[in-house]
Amino acid sequence: MKILLMGHPNVGKSVFFNRLTGAKVMESNYPGTTVDFTKGWMRLEGEDVELIDVPGAFSLEPKDRAEEVAVKMLEENRDSVVVCVLDASKVERGLYLALEIIERGYPVVVALNMWDVAEDKNIKIEVEKLERILGVPVVPTTAISGEGFKELVSKIKEAAPVKIEKIIESASGVRVATSAGEGGGGESAAVSG
Amino acid sequence: MQVKEEVVKVPLSVDERWDLIEKISKQTVEFGARKHTLKDAIAELTVKPLTGIPVAIAVIYGFWAFFCEFAGTLFTDGFMVRLFDEHWLPWLQSVFPGKETWLYFIFVGDPAADNCFEAFGMLTSGLFVIFGVVLWAVLAFYLIFAILEDVGYLPRLAVLVDTVLHKIGLHGYAIVPTFLSLGCNVPGVTATRPLETRKQRFMMMTLLAIFVPCGAQIGIMQDLVPEMMGWIFLTLAIGYLGFGFVLNKIVPGKSPEIIMDVPPYQMPTLKNIMSKLWIRTSGFLLVAVPFVLLGCLIVGLMYLTGAMDWLAAVFGPLLTVWFGVPSETVAPLIAGFLRKDLAVGMLGGLMEQGIMTTFQVFTSVILLCIYFPCLATFALMIKEENWKEILGSLASLVAMVFVYGGLIHLVGIMLGVA
Amino acid sequence: MEKKLSEMEFDEEGTVKEIKENLRKQVAGMGIREGKEIRMATKQPIKGPVVVEVDKSFTSLGLGVAEKIVVEVG
Repeated sequence: MKILLMGHPNVGKSVFFNRLTGAKVMESNYPGTTVDFTKGWMRLEGEDVELIDVPGAFSLEPKDRAEEVAVKMLEENRDSVVVCVLDASKVERGLYLALEIIERGYPVVVALNMWDVAEDKNIKIEVEKLERILGVPVVPTTAISGEGFKELVSKIKEAAPVKIEKIIESASGVRVATSAGEGGGGESAAVSG
Repeated sequence: MQVKEEVVKVPLSVDERWDLIEKISKQTVEFGARKHTLKDAIAELTVKPLTGIPVAIAVIYGFWAFFCEFAGTLFTDGFMVRLFDEHWLPWLQSVFPGKETWLYFIFVGDPAADNCFEAFGMLTSGLFVIFGVVLWAVLAFYLIFAILEDVGYLPRLAVLVDTVLHKIGLHGYAIVPTFLSLGCNVPGVTATRPLETRKQRFMMMTLLAIFVPCGAQIGIMQDLVPEMMGWIFLTLAIGYLGFGFVLNKIVPGKSPEIIMDVPPYQMPTLKNIMSKLWIRTSGFLLVAVPFVLLGCLIVGLMYLTGAMDWLAAVFGPLLTVWFGVPSETVAPLIAGFLRKDLAVGMLGGLMEQGIMTTFQVFTSVILLCIYFPCLATFALMIKEENWKEILGSLASLVAMVFVYGGLIHLVGIMLGVA
Repeated sequence: MEKKLSEMEFDEEGTVKEIKENLRKQVAGMGIREGKEIRMATKQPIKGPVVVEVDKSFTSLGLGVAEKIVVEVG
């Protein structure tokens, strides 16, 4: 198993990475510095697990080279758990990426990072409800201070693939069937792109 | 739960996905009242042309002023020059055995030298160039670069310059490799990777290799010819834009337009800045120290074996007739293959001997910038480009040196200063 | 009134009406989509890029890209 750290540029992903691994990596604000991705190891229930800091991406529909690399890395590591780091004050934008990853059949943990900033901006998020709708673990974090990281690490093992139909059902209260056959569904469509 | 059934295709379409997100966020997110903060106002001011361009100029000027004060005045002139010229050099000259031997010549250099620019030895000029001058310049540069980077200023600068850079087929983002190259061309070349097309990358690497002097070179130029810096940068900038314009016309390929997130400003953290500073500066020393010392060694050996005189005799006519510089500049030009800072330092030695006019110094400095990237940069370019692109870069380089170098000489003649 | 995003005035607000197919997927992740409110945050002179604001986030788009987005204003 591997863990992929994914998210938009500038959501503090690299600080996140540093916290989880303790390794020395660079964190930058301009898009693209992490095109050379960083790898590290983190302790997970007594095991050393590989953690990859994937270049920042807004979606899996690449518009620049960094995003191309991100998509490739996701496709090359089908057996991984994805920790999707969102900017808590821009949840909607972040959910777009998170849903794309979930649709492709990956187990996802959502980290609502920069939680402190969101609070300052008077944005309130009902974490439990969000967790219920998405069906994946959702953890508020503040990478700079390290808040929420213990909980995040403990939830990684809980992550499991979720069908997008389930999410649509719980979000709208409507029963949904899929036309793309069974299982994670998105796989064939995802790889062909 | 309703009984109605909907059919979805996976993956969802853009609209379906957004519909779902809106449903989710309506139930889970509540946006409280929010004021337009000072940070928002600054964020907008720095990206608007009317206010952004003056801010950009102020930022770059502040950058330059700090660079000169910190690296030039405080460390180099205030401390290092004295340390090297008054203590290190005389001490080494007095304890190193055998003034007439070739070992002495290689390590200490000219026994009559009274400063480290003129001595040319590995332990005198070599160490002085790195630790006396260049290290402080590079450190100052990376410190400010890291701050600008972490604050989130660079994407705004990219938006501002995209107007100009897009006209020569580059992306506004090309300002990042360009800027970074002003520290060292090696990470600059690496930073071209996010550029979208091969055309843009090829153009960027070629322009970097030719027209962007590195921090090491700038630091030592600032120490030697501070009064010329404005003209040097102007000449290089004209070359960068002019030659970029030409390359854009002749290199096939696409130049896609900018689609870029402009992130909010952030408070930089000391830890991050320090860690970057350490990684980049140590990376610089790792490349610079061996190459500078090797450069001193090779140049010393070439003097000893007479190869340098031979080269000066062969290339002398070309240098004097076409470029209008004395044949002695052959030595710095050779050293420049390895390290530009060392080469400029050697030029300083020639200046102290009084064999060059001001304009010749100017021309030589520009020639040193453009005639070849340093070996480390070139090695990286070989790794990053395919053989066709390498040949293209080299051809551009040769053409550029002759055209631009000759042009500068011509302008000098017309102005009556050459 | 409908106009291209590239024709919007500085500080003008509108609603995204249509995005050309190829571009749609590329900008969707940045929150730019049909039906969203959009504000022209800055325009650069001599055909430089624009910066637009959607949901408190800023995105810079080349003028040619901005021409592929239709906006309902006024």
